[in-house]
Amino acid sequence: MSFFRKIRNGISYDKNKSKIDSEAIFSLSSATITLETKLGLKPTGRCALAAKSASGMYFNEMKDEIERFLNISKPDFELEYRTIIDSYGYLWVILKGRTIEDILAAITAVGDTIQEKGFSSQLLASIFELSREQKSNNSENNKMQYLIYNYKSNKFYPFVPFSGKKTRDTENEMRIMASIQDEIPFERDMAMWYPLWDLPF
Amino acid sequence: MSVSRRPSWQRRDTGLTVRILLSFGILALLYILFLSVLAYVGLDFISITVVASIMILLQWYFSDKIVLWSSGAKTVTREQYPKLHDVVERIIARNNLPKPKIAVINTKMPNAFATGKGKSSSVVAVTTGLMDLLDTEELEGVLAHELTHIRNRDVLVLTLASLFSTVAWYLMQFGFYGGMGYGYGYGYGSRDRNNGGGMAIVIVVAILTWIISFLIIRAISRYREFAADRGSAQMTGKPVKLANALMKISGNMQRMPTKDLRQAEGLNAFFIVPAMSGSTIVNLFSTHPPVEKRIQKLMEMEASMS
Repeated sequence: MSFFRKIRNGISYDKNKSKIDSEAIFSLSSATITLETKLGLKPTGRCALAAKSASGMYFNEMKDEIERFLNISKPDFELEYRTIIDSYGYLWVILKGRTIEDILAAITAVGDTIQEKGFSSQLLASIFELSREQKSNNSENNKMQYLIYNYKSNKFYPFVPFSGKKTRDTENEMRIMASIQDEIPFERDMAMWYPLWDLPF
Repeated sequence: MSVSRRPSWQRRDTGLTVRILLSFGILALLYILFLSVLAYVGLDFISITVVASIMILLQWYFSDKIVLWSSGAKTVTREQYPKLHDVVERIIARNNLPKPKIAVINTKMPNAFATGKGKSSSVVAVTTGLMDLLDTEELEGVLAHELTHIRNRDVLVLTLASLFSTVAWYLMQFGFYGGMGYGYGYGYGSRDRNNGGGMAIVIVVAILTWIISFLIIRAISRYREFAADRGSAQMTGKPVKLANALMKISGNMQRMPTKDLRQAEGLNAFFIVPAMSGSTIVNLFSTHPPVEKRIQKLMEMEASMS
């Protein structure tokens, strides 16, 4: 499949440079099963999308459109959401849903809306939160772990920050890589694993 | 499907034995071929071969002392480095290995090596930089890697393997200078030309022997590195710790970005196609497999354990 995806991306490259690869995002659905069986990591149902905000009417229109869409979806999917602008000037759409499929659908829809309004180049990343089942009282096992989807490279990479510090747990990041790197489009170059400190979850 | 449910890396490593035997078979064949060519040419090679062999045997016999002396490693007692001794003792107690001598090199460069003739007279050396850089479990992974080198008698294997290439090297030089000597020193007319042609063959064959044995040695030692990684994973049960240690030692950990994605995005970092690094070329000639590959294999072991 990845072979055909490569060809397809090669063909569509010139036409639409930053088309969202929704197939890649949806592949996370099966990867979460692997993460749960291999590492005991479960999606918490929380995820977020970050896009560089722009000044002007059109960006606000887009934001309204996203909120309108999410308000409609709210009752059907038991979706919770909020939007904030962080200190870097990025718009965050933070979602909480019941299942991974629901939040993947919602995040894709939000991404599509941003793209339709002509802001696809502003898209930065989607972040999916995972947590380990609490088997022991070991606080280290209780940590939140993340998968970041980079819209520029169309690839996922892991991010496991040590709580309270701007340092990361590469061991658990490498564990995530080892278990799902063949299942989803994965960034194998660790030099591209840019952190997102102080996630507004 | 195999009956055993243990992952493949935990099973007995027959591939190692087969490869080593095969490699030595090829080397021996080359050696015989080389000798017959020399015999055909009619060169008195015995003396040089004997000298070279004795040198290599001496080198092997004193290998631990030579290595310790040249690296500046000092053997340390339990009183000087109790933690280091503890870690080594924990590994050897669990895996029924004899305790090696423990040495420390006072340098900031993180590194470790093992040397010695046999299982009982071996030395494991670590640098102070390594101890500063790694936590206890990572250090355990590295030490288990070195202890696997000792258990697998890698020093002996590589010394024997390099015997052939060293002999070939000596003969190559002898052939070269010998040929020159004949050409300039003793003018024997037609016989000189004959010998000159013979010399050319000797040189060519010696070069070929040397190149091929060099490639084989490289293959052996790369394979033994993977084997030592696997051994370390078996001994400690935590391949991820060695993978992490390799990340730190190789500097790959330092390559990991700390800059926030939101800041890096402005630098257009994502549109830069990684230039072909020199590592592809170094790869062909280095005796250690690339760190990325070792980490990947270690993480595969880790994944198969959970």
